[in-house]
Amino acid sequence: MKKMLKRTLSLMLALLMVAGLAACGNNAEQTSNPPAANSQPAENNNNNNNNDNQQSAGEEVTLKWAVWDINLTTYYQPLIDAYVADHPNVKIEMVDLGSSDYQNALITQLTGNADLDVVCVKDIPGYANLVKGGYLSDLSGAGIDSSLYGGTIEQITVDGKFYALPFRSDHWVVYYNKALFDAAGVDYPTNDMTIAEYDALARQVTSGTGAGKVYGSHFHTWRSAPSLFAVLDGQHTVVDGSYDFMKSTYEWVLAEQNDGICQDYGTLKATQTHYSGVFFNQQCAMMNMGSWFIPTQIEKVKSGESLATNWGIVKYPHPEGVAAGTTLGTITSVAVNAASAKQDAALDFVKFVGGEQGAEIIAKTGTFPAIKSDAVLDELAKMDGFPTDEASKEALSTTQVYLEMPMHDKAADIEGVLNEAHDGIMTGAMTIDEGIQKMNNEVSALLG
Amino acid sequence: MKEKSGVTGGKIAVYVILILLSILTIIPFAWMLSASLKLNKDVFAWPMEWIPSNPQWQNYVNIWTKIPLLKFISNTAILTVVVTLLQLLTSSFAAYAFAKLRFRGRNLLFLGYIATIAMPWQVYMVPQFLMMSGMGLNDKLLAMICLQAFSAFGVFLMKQFYDGIPDELCEAARIDGLSEYGIWRRIMLPLSKPSLATLTIFTFVNTWNDFLGPLLYLHTESKKTLQLGLRMFIGQYSAEYGLIMAASVVALIPVLIVFLALQKYFVQGIASSGLKG
Amino acid sequence: MQTTQRPAASEAVVRSRKKRELVKNLVAYSFIAPNFVGFAVFTLVPMVMAVALAFLSWDGSNNNPITFAGFQNFIDLFQDPKFTQALVNTVAYAVITVPLTMAASLGLAILLNQKIHARNFFRTMMFFPYVASMVAVTAVWNMLFNPSMGPVNMILSGLGVENLPRWSADPNWFICMGTVILFSIWKFMGYYMIIYLAGLQGVNPDLYEAAALDGANPWQKFWYVTMPQLRPTTFFVTVMLTIQCFKVYDIFLMITNFGPGGKTRVLVGNIYEAAFTSRNFGYASAMAMVLFILVLIVTLIQFRGESSMKE
Repeated sequence: MKKMLKRTLSLMLALLMVAGLAACGNNAEQTSNPPAANSQPAENNNNNNNNDNQQSAGEEVTLKWAVWDINLTTYYQPLIDAYVADHPNVKIEMVDLGSSDYQNALITQLTGNADLDVVCVKDIPGYANLVKGGYLSDLSGAGIDSSLYGGTIEQITVDGKFYALPFRSDHWVVYYNKALFDAAGVDYPTNDMTIAEYDALARQVTSGTGAGKVYGSHFHTWRSAPSLFAVLDGQHTVVDGSYDFMKSTYEWVLAEQNDGICQDYGTLKATQTHYSGVFFNQQCAMMNMGSWFIPTQIEKVKSGESLATNWGIVKYPHPEGVAAGTTLGTITSVAVNAASAKQDAALDFVKFVGGEQGAEIIAKTGTFPAIKSDAVLDELAKMDGFPTDEASKEALSTTQVYLEMPMHDKAADIEGVLNEAHDGIMTGAMTIDEGIQKMNNEVSALLG
Repeated sequence: MKEKSGVTGGKIAVYVILILLSILTIIPFAWMLSASLKLNKDVFAWPMEWIPSNPQWQNYVNIWTKIPLLKFISNTAILTVVVTLLQLLTSSFAAYAFAKLRFRGRNLLFLGYIATIAMPWQVYMVPQFLMMSGMGLNDKLLAMICLQAFSAFGVFLMKQFYDGIPDELCEAARIDGLSEYGIWRRIMLPLSKPSLATLTIFTFVNTWNDFLGPLLYLHTESKKTLQLGLRMFIGQYSAEYGLIMAASVVALIPVLIVFLALQKYFVQGIASSGLKG
Repeated sequence: MQTTQRPAASEAVVRSRKKRELVKNLVAYSFIAPNFVGFAVFTLVPMVMAVALAFLSWDGSNNNPITFAGFQNFIDLFQDPKFTQALVNTVAYAVITVPLTMAASLGLAILLNQKIHARNFFRTMMFFPYVASMVAVTAVWNMLFNPSMGPVNMILSGLGVENLPRWSADPNWFICMGTVILFSIWKFMGYYMIIYLAGLQGVNPDLYEAAALDGANPWQKFWYVTMPQLRPTTFFVTVMLTIQCFKVYDIFLMITNFGPGGKTRVLVGNIYEAAFTSRNFGYASAMAMVLFILVLIVTLIQFRGESSMKE
C-alpha cells in the first residue's frame, strides 16, 4: 500500500510538470491573441464598407440575435418583421438563451466563439463584464444621438466610449388598488409624495387580519425594491464602498415589516411569492415596482386573473427636498458582437432596434422603450386598459432616473455582496448595523 | 415456549420499526404525488387530504404546454442513453484488459484511474469548462457526453468484478481458439450482469439527475435537460405548486423504472465489486 | 555449424516472442484506449490544468491576457471572509452529517439483514431517495418545510409549539444548517445502507455462533462481532461520505440558496460564483485546490487506515 502511495505521488508530480508546460504554451498563445483580436473589428469595418455597397445591392445576410424568453416577449417578432420589410435581403434568427442565467450564458457563448452577431444585454453588471472582456463593438462613433436617451447612454459610457444601445428603459412607479383605498376611506396616493408620506399612507390603508388582510405596501424580495430608496437623493451610489447611508431606509422598511404593514420578507422568499400575485389578489394596497409590470397587469385584468381591476399608478416616492419624478430605472440594450463578421449589417439592425422607429414598435406592445418622445408616451397611455386618470398618465414621465446598478467594472461582485447582506438584514439573520458592516467590509475589499 | 414468543415479539418490533421508517422515507413522495393532483389553493390546505377528492389530472396535461417539457425529456433521454451505453462498453472493455491481460504500463495506467477516482469533478470543473469552451463544445449535448461517459469509477467497478472471475476460464477459452475480443464478448459480458446492472443504475441515475454539469454547459433553451428545465419551471411558476409537483413526478418516473428493473442485481453487484471497501 | 545455428534459432525465438509481446500489448491497448483517451482528455488534463490555473489570473476572454499570479490567489483567499465562512460551513456540514448518516444507514442495514418478509421491498423503499432527482425532491422538501403553510409546521403548531422554526430561512444558523443536514441524511442513507448490507453479508456466521455459545447477548454480538468485522466497510463509508459532503453544492443551492444572508455558503458555491459570475477563473481554481487538498487528506487517511488494517 505504501508503495502504491509513493507511486501515486510521483505520478501526480509528473502530471504537475506536464501541466506547467501546457500552461506556459497556453499562456504564450493567449497573450499573442489580443492584438489579433483587437485588430479584427477594424479590419471588418473596412471589409464591410465594401460589403455595404454589395449589401444594398441585395446580398443575402443572416444575423443571429441573442435574446431571452422568445415566447414571453411580445416585441421581438414585430421588430424583426418591420426591419425585414425594409431590408428584404436580411434574415434575422433569434437564439434563446433563457432569462434566468442570461448574462452568464451569453458570455459563455461569446467565449466559445458562437456565431452571434447581435446580442441583448440584460443588466449593468453583465454589460460591465462584456465590456471588460472586449466582447462588444464600440458604438460611440456610429452616429447615435445620445440626447434622445434621457441620459442613459452617459451612464453606460466607459472612458468616453459606449458599447451598447439601450432599447428598453423602465422606471419604478407605485401601483395602487383604488378599490382598497375607497374601502378604507383613504385618499389616493399622489404624484408628489415624500418617502415619509408614503410610509404614513401605507400604515393608514392597512386593515384586516388573517387571510383577508390588506397590507398597505408590498416590497418584493429583490434588493432594489426596498433598499434603493436610499440612493434617490443623488448623494450616494451603491458602488461607493460605504453603505451607512442605507441605514435609515432599512429602518423604516423593517419597521413596516414588524408592524405588519408589509408582508414578511422571509415568508415571501421561502414561498418564492411573485409580486404579481400579491397585487392581483388584492393583498396589498400599494406596491412599488418597475413599469414593466404595466402590460402584465393590463393583460391579466382582461383575462380575469387579476382581481385588482380598479387601479392606477403614481410617481415614485422621493426623499425630502428632492424633485418629484426622481426614480430608479433599469435599461436593456442591444449590442454588436465584436467578433461578428457582419459588423455593418449588425450595427444597422442595432440602430433600428434602439432607434426611434424601434421605440414606436416597442411602445405599441405596451413596453417602455428607451427613447421616450411625446409620441411614445402618448402611445403608452393610449394602451387599451391603461388607467384613465390624468395622474397615471403623468406618472409615466420622469425628471431624474438613477440606474439600479451604476456602471462599474466590479458591478457583478458588488451586487453579490449587497444581495447577500440585504437577505441577511431582511430575514433578521443580521442586524442592520451588521449587514451594513458586511457591505462596507466586503465591498471595500473588492474595490481594493 | 417463552423463548419462541420472545423471538416473535422481536420480529414484530422489527416490522413496526421498519414500517414506520419506510413511511417516513416515502412521505415526501406520497406528498408529491398527492399535491400533483391538486389545485394550487388546496395544496397547503390543512388538515390535508392525502387522496384528492377532486383529482386535477389537468395538471399533467398543462405541464407539457407551460414549458417545452418534451424537448427537455428527449434531450435528457438521448444524453442518458448514449452516456450509459458508452460507459458500459468502454468501461467493461478497459476493465477486461486491466483484469485479465498482462501488458506494459498496466499498473501505471490503472494508477491513473485510481488516483482520480475519489477526486470530485468540482475540483477540475473550471479548467474543464475552459477547455471545452476552447474546443467549441459549449452549449452542445456532446460536451455532456464527453464529460460523463469515461469515468474512472466504471473501470474500477468492472475490474473488481472481473478480478473475481477465475483466470482458468479465460485460459480454457484461449486454448479453444477464442480471441481476446471473443472472450470478452462471449464469456465476460454474460458473466458480469450484476455489475453491469449496478453500473447502469449508477450511470443512468447520475446522468439523468445531473444538475451542475448541464448548468455549466447547456444554455440555449432547446438544449436544456430535464433537471434544468424543472428548475427553470420552479423559478418561473413558483406558486404553481400543483404543476411543479406534477413535473417532478414526471422527472422521477424513468429513474424509478430503471431502478426497479435492475434492483435485484444491485446488492449482489455492490457486494462483488469490492465497493464495500 | 552448431554454434552458428543455435543463436540464429534463439534469435528467431526472441524475435517471435517479441512480436507476440507486441501484439499482446497492442491488443490490450485496444481494449483500454476507448475509455482511456476520453478519460485522459476530459479528466486527467483538466485536473492538471486546475493546478496550473490556480497560479494564474484570467477572466476567460480571449481578448485579455492570462497573467501569472503566483500565490496571489491563495493570499487573497485567506483574506476573503466569504471563503473562510464557506470553508467553515463545509467542514461543519461534513462533521455533523457523516456520523449521523452512518448511524442511520448502519441501523437500517442491520434491520434489513435479518430474515424477514418483504425484505427487498423495504430495501427498495429506503434506497429510493438516493436515486430521486435532487431538483424534484428539494422542491417537495421546501414545500413540506414551508415556514408559514407547510405541513411540518402545521403539525408542530398543532402540538402547541410556539416560535415555529422557519427551517431553511431561519436566521439561526443551527436551524437552517440543520434543515439541510436532515435532508442530506434522508437522501443518502439508503445508499450507504446498501454498502453496509454488502459488508454484513461478508461477516462470517461462525463468529456469531461462537459468540452465542459464549452466552453473548445481541448487543454484545453487535459490539464485539459485527462492528470489528465491519471495520473496512465503515472506513470506506466514512471516506466516501466525507468527500460527498465536501463537494456539496446543489443541496444548499436548492434548499437555502446559501442564505439567509450568505450564512450557509459552501465551498463549491463560492467556486461557481467566482468562476461564472465574477469570471475570476484563477481565483476559482485556487479555491478548488483547497477542496482538492481536503479530499486528498481524507484519501491519504484512507490509504493509511487500509494498510494498517491489512497488517
